[in-house]
Amino acid sequence: MSTNGNAIVEIRNVFKFFGSLKALDNVSLDIYDGEKVVIIGPSGSGKSTLLRSINRLEKIDGGSIIVDGYPVHDESTDINKVREEVGMVFQSFNVFPHKTVLDNLNLAQMVVRKRSKEEATKISMGLLHKVGITDKAHQYPGKLSGGQQQRVAIARALAMKPKIMLFDEPTSALDPEMIGEVLDVMVKLAQEGMTMIVVSHEMGFARQVADRVIFMDYGAIIEVGPPEHFFTNPSHDRTKLFLSQIL
Amino acid sequence: MAAIKETQDDGDRQKKTVIAVTDGPAIPRKMDVGLFTAWRVAFVGALAVIAYLAIVHRDPYWEILKFLPDGILVTFQVTIEAIVLALIIGLFTGLGRISKNRIINGIASLYVEVIRGIPLLVQLFYIYFALGRFVNLPAMASAVIAMAVCYGAYMGEIFRAGIESIHRGQMEAARSLGMSYQQAMIHVILPQAFKTILPPVGNEFVALLKDSSLVSILAVSDLLRRGREFASESFTYFETYTMVALVYLVITLVLSKLVSIMEERISVD
Repeated sequence: MSTNGNAIVEIRNVFKFFGSLKALDNVSLDIYDGEKVVIIGPSGSGKSTLLRSINRLEKIDGGSIIVDGYPVHDESTDINKVREEVGMVFQSFNVFPHKTVLDNLNLAQMVVRKRSKEEATKISMGLLHKVGITDKAHQYPGKLSGGQQQRVAIARALAMKPKIMLFDEPTSALDPEMIGEVLDVMVKLAQEGMTMIVVSHEMGFARQVADRVIFMDYGAIIEVGPPEHFFTNPSHDRTKLFLSQIL
Repeated sequence: MAAIKETQDDGDRQKKTVIAVTDGPAIPRKMDVGLFTAWRVAFVGALAVIAYLAIVHRDPYWEILKFLPDGILVTFQVTIEAIVLALIIGLFTGLGRISKNRIINGIASLYVEVIRGIPLLVQLFYIYFALGRFVNLPAMASAVIAMAVCYGAYMGEIFRAGIESIHRGQMEAARSLGMSYQQAMIHVILPQAFKTILPPVGNEFVALLKDSSLVSILAVSDLLRRGREFASESFTYFETYTMVALVYLVITLVLSKLVSIMEERISVD
């Protein structure tokens, strides 16, 4: 495992309800600095809810989540401080359509990190180079393909220099021919040692980079193990059933 | 005024907002051939009638026409000042209406309900005559405030619909980058919402301009008031009000045309 042994995310006995629906059912999980975790599970299993509660896009109803020392579950924690350190990539990209690609990357750097425009632009151009869309810097996202938009979204999150990256089904809204270009960027990021928590059904990606795969169902963690475990001998019937459907 | 209709696409989380204008002038679009010619007939016709009357029947029409421009300026002054104030009130009302804070939300909703339930003319009377017992505002200021308070309520609904039409993911993306709610509103949500609300705001502007004729009651020398002054001295009621109506018509037609051009440009982007 390419980790440094310190839990950077500590999730303890977390519950979350949507009305009477139990979205998270007593979930506990430690994620270590530098670790890559892939969360799989059927839709409605709570995997996205778990990911979104790490940066408090969802407020949990019980338990505790500590991210880089900040108690996220505590209302008095300045969540914006946590979010500066936790990048997030969404299924629907959510690039800002009224801003150019470069301005998408610059905005939060200037508003939140208070970097000068020159400084931000320098960082942004470096990241656009990294995700391979330097030539689109001055275009509006509407002119870009889905794969390009998602790479912009990844670069935008990286521009904040986060310690952790959360990916919420980053390739699910993409046409098949564009999935590869986004996964390539994610693999590169993993190789650089970024701590990554990825909700995805891309088992090839999981096999390539994941330290651990987590299978969730009905809001609970059912099974945890290295990717090989899931390919060779998953122990639970529900895991087997699910994997037989996606592999 | 402006009715806002939201439709949910099947299976798609993206909300589409259709803002339908039920009051105000019929705005011609390129596809509405009938309306387009109706607009043209009305516009060219009004100009032709004004020109004909002013040239052929110089007395009294030319005199009336010379008397009115001061009033046109006042009408525009009231309209522009009121719309600017209404936009500011509307922005905060709209933000209040989507606020999760129950008190703020309650105040904004109450304001909208109360104002929408009282006729504008009554509001004008109330601010100028009734409140005159406590504060003595000049007629012009009363007029602007009353119109702005009234239209602010409608603007609030336009702002609310405009903000709500922006996909929830935009706010989430901005917040997940560490921006505060205010920063996300200012830099991400409102700039996008402005585009959606620009056409309905333009329609409100046209509607407000027409409603501004009500302020002539408060001794503000707007277009209608100037006409009344001229008519009551010369006893040419028919001629004067014909001219006043034609001038209002020309102004409204030009403005609504501008709004429809703006709407088209925005939908192209």
